[in-house]
Amino acid sequence: MSDARDAVAKNRHTYELEETGFNEVPKKWRKFYRYWEGVGDVLAPNEVVCPVCKVVIRSKRELRPGDKVYCMPCMSRMVVVKAADGSLEAEVIF
Amino acid sequence: MVIADDDDFDPHLLEEDDFVEEVQSFEFWFGAVEGYLVDRPYGRSPDTPDPELDDTRRDRLITTLCNYCVGETAALEGASGLVRLAPNHHAKVFMATQVVDEARHLEVFLRRLTDLGVVDTATEIQKRANPALLDFKSSLLELVDAGEWDAAVFAQNVILESMEFTVFRSHAENADPVTAEVLQGVISDERRHFGFGENDLGRRMADDPSRRPRLQEVKEQLDRIVLSVFEGALDDLDVPVADRPRLGQEYLETVERLGLT
Amino acid sequence: MADFLSQYSIQRWLEMCPQGYLEDTVYGRGADESEAEDLLGNETMLDAAITATVQLVVGERCALAASSGLVNAAPDYPSKRFLATQTLDEARHVEIFTQRLYDLGVKKDKLEDEISDRANPHLVKFAEVLLEKVEAGDFIAGVVGQNIVLEGMAFSVFEMMEAGNRQLNPKFAHTLRGTIADERRHVGFGENRIGSLIQEHPEKKPEIERMQEEMTYHMLATFALAFSESPDEAIQSNGDSPEAEWHGTNLATATPEEMEAVLAETVLGEFKTRLGRIGLEYQSPKSPV
Repeated sequence: MSDARDAVAKNRHTYELEETGFNEVPKKWRKFYRYWEGVGDVLAPNEVVCPVCKVVIRSKRELRPGDKVYCMPCMSRMVVVKAADGSLEAEVIF
Repeated sequence: MVIADDDDFDPHLLEEDDFVEEVQSFEFWFGAVEGYLVDRPYGRSPDTPDPELDDTRRDRLITTLCNYCVGETAALEGASGLVRLAPNHHAKVFMATQVVDEARHLEVFLRRLTDLGVVDTATEIQKRANPALLDFKSSLLELVDAGEWDAAVFAQNVILESMEFTVFRSHAENADPVTAEVLQGVISDERRHFGFGENDLGRRMADDPSRRPRLQEVKEQLDRIVLSVFEGALDDLDVPVADRPRLGQEYLETVERLGLT
Repeated sequence: MADFLSQYSIQRWLEMCPQGYLEDTVYGRGADESEAEDLLGNETMLDAAITATVQLVVGERCALAASSGLVNAAPDYPSKRFLATQTLDEARHVEIFTQRLYDLGVKKDKLEDEISDRANPHLVKFAEVLLEKVEAGDFIAGVVGQNIVLEGMAFSVFEMMEAGNRQLNPKFAHTLRGTIADERRHVGFGENRIGSLIQEHPEKKPEIERMQEEMTYHMLATFALAFSESPDEAIQSNGDSPEAEWHGTNLATATPEEMEAVLAETVLGEFKTRLGRIGLEYQSPKSPV
């Protein structure tokens, strides 16, 4: 599949994800999430915070506005948007 | 649905129906709780230190735990009633996982009360229960008995679970090590519960906006009780008044996302 | 009562199931196990397997509705907590048998149609009798109906199917072994908890015995219809194997009538024994099926 290949084609940076200790979803999904460390925690370009449960959602590719992401710990579906300060945030879509 | 487990595997690429089926399944629950409950009988690691608490702190903790038991009993009875009302089989299976989560929470809090020397937990809970929380429980079970899925899920998975999530997290920051560890396991479960509530109701209202007025009505009916419950819980935890608006913020954000303000 | 119920805690359930016999399973079977090729390649056998599995889904959906409904009716918290674990067990059974239908080729968008087309009408009636008691909040009748009658039947049917599938369809046999392990707890709870409640409420006996009689009628009718329309898949999927021996009947060579008879005798024998232990007298259905 080709989303990773598509990402390369669109000049997106891709990431090799590793587990970070998040353990609230089945093992195969764990590397796609990490705990938010609060103030001082800096999000990478492939990360966005779930507004519902405050877990950090991670992607294998650099995120851009319009990307859809899922938060499995709280079952939310989101779209990535650009916030007023230029950072990326997630908006829940129903 | 066949979910590949190879280098190309990416959950964010799932179709929405496949995503919902996956996260509401027993298999998902099974893999999730394995991560944070294994080797923690009754929610705590046997190695976690359990220093003796002074009398005042112990008494305050007993009151708090008694009220957690009331909340978890409401959630257990509410969730079990909701299995029958669930509009589809995935939601029924999810609700069944929530039933066992709530029963586990009740069990770990009862166990903690016993650790603290409470012999007759039922009497102690009755004595220390916040009347507003009992009112909330009655209101929730009335909605379940009336067969109102949307309203009952809103009361249980949005209001009650958001409130618990906030209170438990605040408590875990200052609790003794054992109580904090027990609370962490409960918090991990709560993410699924309030997430399910918000997303299920959000989707149902997006499909049929005529559902919204009834939920606004329920919210207005319950707001006063919720405020009293919340205040009572934060008083028991000795949370400074100045910090309370920040703690209530998450619930307000949830109802705003659902368009119920 | 408290001591006995402490054996049915959530903690014990976690240790026995998710951290016990279900560890490393996917939908109740090994991750690398799949349905037998012989079954998937034979249209008649496949059709019989789908029909048989539909009955399991129907039965488990009933058990899910009943056990969740009984949580609120339970008179004490240990019973509520046990029934919470049973609720999740039943939801798991619904899920794994539904998954088996998909493994057998049923399309997701046709699932409900297949279930309503193939559900045995007597099994549906059997479920209705039980759910009526649950909806009325009748805990004692509900637990007898669910944990003694329904679970007793499921226990025997699953055991027979497991014996019949052990050699030629190890994947399905594995799935069934997990459900049998669950059912052991359910029937155990039913007997242990209800025995004392029946003693406290002897006035409930006639009503419960009537319910058992009605449920037994529909159960026997379910077997009769199932075996007259299409013999159980266990018969067709096995060679002449000593492992397919169950209660003196070789499932590999038995006729449908022999299968029906051994199943009915086994289940009824179990009922009589279990009901006797909790102080109820087995009632034969009025109209022989």
